Amino acid sequence: MANERQEARFKVNAMRTGARFDPAAASRPILTFENVFKAYRADQPVLRGMNLTIGRGEFVFITGASGAGKSTLLRLLYRAETVDDGRILFLGRDIARLTNDSIPMLRRNIGVVFQDFKLVPHWTVFDNVAVTLEVLGLPGRLVRARVGEALERVGLGGRGGDLARVLSGGEQQRVAIARAIVGEPAILLCDEPTGNLDPLLAIDILGLFEDIHAAGTTVLFATHDRTLLEVRPRRVVVLDDGKAVDVQAGLAPMEASSPPLRPPHPWVREEPLQENAFDGLDLYEPSHLGAE
Amino acid sequence: MPSTVSISTNPAIWVLSEPDEDNMNGTTSRAWRNGKADWKMHLLSIFSLSVAFVCLASALLVVSNLDRVRQRWSRVGRTTVYLRDNADPAQVQELREAINRTAGVRTVRYVSPEEARRELVAESSDGALAALPAQAFSASLEVDFQEDLADADVSSIAGKIRSIPVVDGVETYARWSERLGRLLDGGVAASLLLSLVVSGAVISVVASTMRMALERRRVEVEVLQLVGATHGYVRAPFLVEGAAQGGLGAAAAVLLLALLYSIVRGRFDGELALILGVEPIFLPWHVIVAMVLGGALLGALSSAFSLRRLSCA
Repeated sequence: MANERQEARFKVNAMRTGARFDPAAASRPILTFENVFKAYRADQPVLRGMNLTIGRGEFVFITGASGAGKSTLLRLLYRAETVDDGRILFLGRDIARLTNDSIPMLRRNIGVVFQDFKLVPHWTVFDNVAVTLEVLGLPGRLVRARVGEALERVGLGGRGGDLARVLSGGEQQRVAIARAIVGEPAILLCDEPTGNLDPLLAIDILGLFEDIHAAGTTVLFATHDRTLLEVRPRRVVVLDDGKAVDVQAGLAPMEASSPPLRPPHPWVREEPLQENAFDGLDLYEPSHLGAE
Repeated sequence: MPSTVSISTNPAIWVLSEPDEDNMNGTTSRAWRNGKADWKMHLLSIFSLSVAFVCLASALLVVSNLDRVRQRWSRVGRTTVYLRDNADPAQVQELREAINRTAGVRTVRYVSPEEARRELVAESSDGALAALPAQAFSASLEVDFQEDLADADVSSIAGKIRSIPVVDGVETYARWSERLGRLLDGGVAASLLLSLVVSGAVISVVASTMRMALERRRVEVEVLQLVGATHGYVRAPFLVEGAAQGGLGAAAAVLLLALLYSIVRGRFDGELALILGVEPIFLPWHVIVAMVLGGALLGALSSAFSLRRLSCA
């Protein structure tokens, strides 16, 4: 009954004056940065006229040196920061122009995973994940079902009753990922999510993000760990001098037919990785990449 | 991915949606969960608040009883007519009958100087007074008025009696009542001042506690904001906790005062009744309710005050 009411409310919203169905919307980029400027200090701008377009369903690595603006870019996206100039269009709406009351609505469509997990240590695993749905006011039965499902996805099925503080680093990051995906966000922002994990676990977690991406979620993965860029063939955006530079990197090109967008950026390793670089490591193999 | 979920939070809906009103469901349970986690801090806060509220409740208790005494004496319905020493008994008898016939007068009793001395000696343990001769006392007429007689009427009757030649003076006890009234006004002013001090203490204690709670739950608040909780959703449990602290602090103060009152009343009840002419009472129920609700409101406001810098981001 509650589900029906909720759906009915959504339909009513969709039928409001000015809310027209636009089939072209599905083909538009999910995210567009237009000439974005951001500076914490006037003499040290972080982003200087950055332009970037992210399509729906893309998996994009954002990389660059420390202080290049990776975290700033993500913080601008979930409106923890505001741009000094320029526009950031998320699903066609300018994030900078959102009112304070609309910011929570933006964040309900964005999942964020941090390097330091940001879990509430005295809450259980279930509580840490369920909070995403509780703020939406979903009924308890539905929350339990969806949290259980999310925990299964990250490999923590049956661990809902454990306190977050007793989990290992890798498990805590999985809980954080479950919290980020349980609301089925349009985009997943990952701010150095493997920074606190050992290399093997980092690749394991990356595989988890690959699986989430395979389910249709757009993933922005900020990292300064070059090793991760070489594990999977993904689009890589390097932040350099306050601008975004699209490069190709990884073990294989993004698409066999597509030429490099630009010459290799110095940030990305130019020499190919040894074929046996990961020999001996029991890497997590995302199900959808099994054939690669 | 297979999903059993029928509700979606897909982007198109977000674009069309307006911000929801805060879902306050579960606010109390979230406040309870947080309160349990920080129970020691909250207990300390409630204790501090109860100490402050005990001061206020004590002042209100005194004012309540003072008001009762004033009401009792303002409706004493009694006037003493002092007669001149050389008053003729026939004139006195005539005066007595005239007063007795006056509308609103219930009884008139003649008190001779000997009787006046006897009564005073019986009520006082002062040896000097007991040594005075009967001639030192005036004869008088004790006039009892009906209870529903207005103060103005009593004053009017007293004024007319005062003008009669055999009358030396008339005591209506209005000055005693006025003195009590002034004392009561002072008590009310002191209570108001005290309530301001207590309010300051409540604001300070609750705001400090909430700031500490906010600091301890910084990650929790960050997470809530991150997953799209509205400002109201984040603040609501803190407001509930602040209100609970204020309300419980006031309630604890009332209980403590009731305990002290029951001890004091058992020992001094008779003496107080004899001195004041009224039975002492505890705080009226409406004062108790007002104090607890006021404490809760003040607690919530203090909490809101301490959360004012909690930004949406």
